Amino acid sequence: MSLTHERVRGDVADVLSEPPAEISDDENLLDRGLDSIRVMSLVERWRAAGVHTTFIELAEHPTVAAWWQLISDRMEENR
Amino acid sequence: MSVKHSADVVVVGGGPAGSTAAALVARRGHRVILLEKETFPRYQIGESLLPATVHGICNLLGVTEEIEKAGFTVKRGGSFRWGTNPEPWNFLFAISPELTGPTSFAYQVERMKFDDILLKNAARQGVDVRENATVVDVTTSGDRVTGVRYTDAEGTEHTVEARWVVDGSGNRSRIWKGVGGERHYSEFFQNIALFGYFEGGKRLPGPDAGNILCAAFDEGWIWYIPLSETLTSVGAVISREHAARLQGDQEKALLGLIDRCAIVKDFLSEASRVTEGVYGEIRTRKDYSYSNSGFWRPGMALVGDAACFIDPVFSTGVHLATYAGLLVARSINSVLAGELAEERAFGEFEGRYRREYAVFYEFLSAFYDMQSSEDNYFWKARKVTGMQATDLEAFTTLVGGVHSRELALSSRNLAEAVERTGTMQTESGERMFHLFGTPVVTDVMQEMNQIQARGVLGEQTPEAPLLPGGLVPARDGLGWAEFSGA
Repeated sequence: MSLTHERVRGDVADVLSEPPAEISDDENLLDRGLDSIRVMSLVERWRAAGVHTTFIELAEHPTVAAWWQLISDRMEENR
Repeated sequence: MSVKHSADVVVVGGGPAGSTAAALVARRGHRVILLEKETFPRYQIGESLLPATVHGICNLLGVTEEIEKAGFTVKRGGSFRWGTNPEPWNFLFAISPELTGPTSFAYQVERMKFDDILLKNAARQGVDVRENATVVDVTTSGDRVTGVRYTDAEGTEHTVEARWVVDGSGNRSRIWKGVGGERHYSEFFQNIALFGYFEGGKRLPGPDAGNILCAAFDEGWIWYIPLSETLTSVGAVISREHAARLQGDQEKALLGLIDRCAIVKDFLSEASRVTEGVYGEIRTRKDYSYSNSGFWRPGMALVGDAACFIDPVFSTGVHLATYAGLLVARSINSVLAGELAEERAFGEFEGRYRREYAVFYEFLSAFYDMQSSEDNYFWKARKVTGMQATDLEAFTTLVGGVHSRELALSSRNLAEAVERTGTMQTESGERMFHLFGTPVVTDVMQEMNQIQARGVLGEQTPEAPLLPGGLVPARDGLGWAEFSGA
């Protein structure tokens, strides 16, 4: 299984308990109530889906766009 | 003639390891007898908790509210006068002020109160808790442990037959020998702790007032744990070579050590030592780091200090104990449900437990190495260089199955990260990016964070196996399941 941009957005929306359509690509997710434990759970979800990211990588640029960039690069490397 | 009893599981010891294991097995409706030697509440050391216990385990146990109401000191991390920086620096549980979370804190607890809450909770969850019950030995049949023999307060002998014996009887008990194997001691962390209690000690400024302070000095280091606004637990951790000093006047020895540690001396300058009641005694404890060669055999498993112990500097005692309690409960529940073979389920218990011990041991080695060695024996003997690095890594391999990193490199990474983070009262010192980004810390945080996330986000949190080819937690967190794949 690989991740998609929409799955990434959906996972983010899920941990924040918001509808996916409400989460735009470039907004700072900290303003939506993203916290360290939710970052951690996203690392774990994506690890379960076969994509390895780290807590620090996600925490440094907390937007869907930056995370999708990171994840798609990782999937590319593993191809 | 002894009185006979039977249960699915008999747990030895009512500390956090035993009461966690017992409650989480009883939670699935199984019959559990817990045998505790003393009468609770009773004194215990190891007062500083980590978030995984408070938000992960306590949540699963159903004691979150009770713990909140107990009024324990809120701990947002550890403050360290340690390494090359003369100013204290922080290791906070939150990554930054912006990226804090509902689980970015733990508590400092009076163990009399905390352990009593967990044990009474186990009884409420259906565990048959028997205090004043001294376990004499385990019974076996062929390769299998089949139960225990114990005596009650009147001296009457009893036997309990059970599918499993869970030994959570602590560091001084010998019940662990029922599993077989040996206890391996680390050569490097054979420390001794000398500790007492003070009223009126100073506090760290602002939000750090509840932090544990660990301050290194020439002969070792001192813990300074704020248990209430006025009560402080203070302990000196020194090399076992100094044990002779502790034979005479222990008060004089403790005050002498405090006198040589500038920051703690200042914090206690207007304080007075508690001399009455349970906190009036000065105590010593061997804080040797050790791990047993096996954590289980058919019919028996070890949890908490009965299995392994690591130096107290990271407040890991209760964490390793409750974590092991959770792991063993998952294994027992899965086998009793007929979902997994004993070998597979307990292999996961031992594998995860060893991994947790090993990652903390690596972190510990790198951490001690940061403190300058200079000319004194305590620090020089704990420096990761040349031959010693090899020996330290050998111990990790021995007790953890593998060692994952080169310790000398870990030590450098950690020292650099501490330097980049800066001191506690600076803006950078509030941001844990550098520290959390070092590989040794990432390893240490992985499973703890996972347990916390489950506590906060509930059963919906999917997990990948922690170990290659390993199991994942069942939906309710109380058993294991095969990983159904990414």
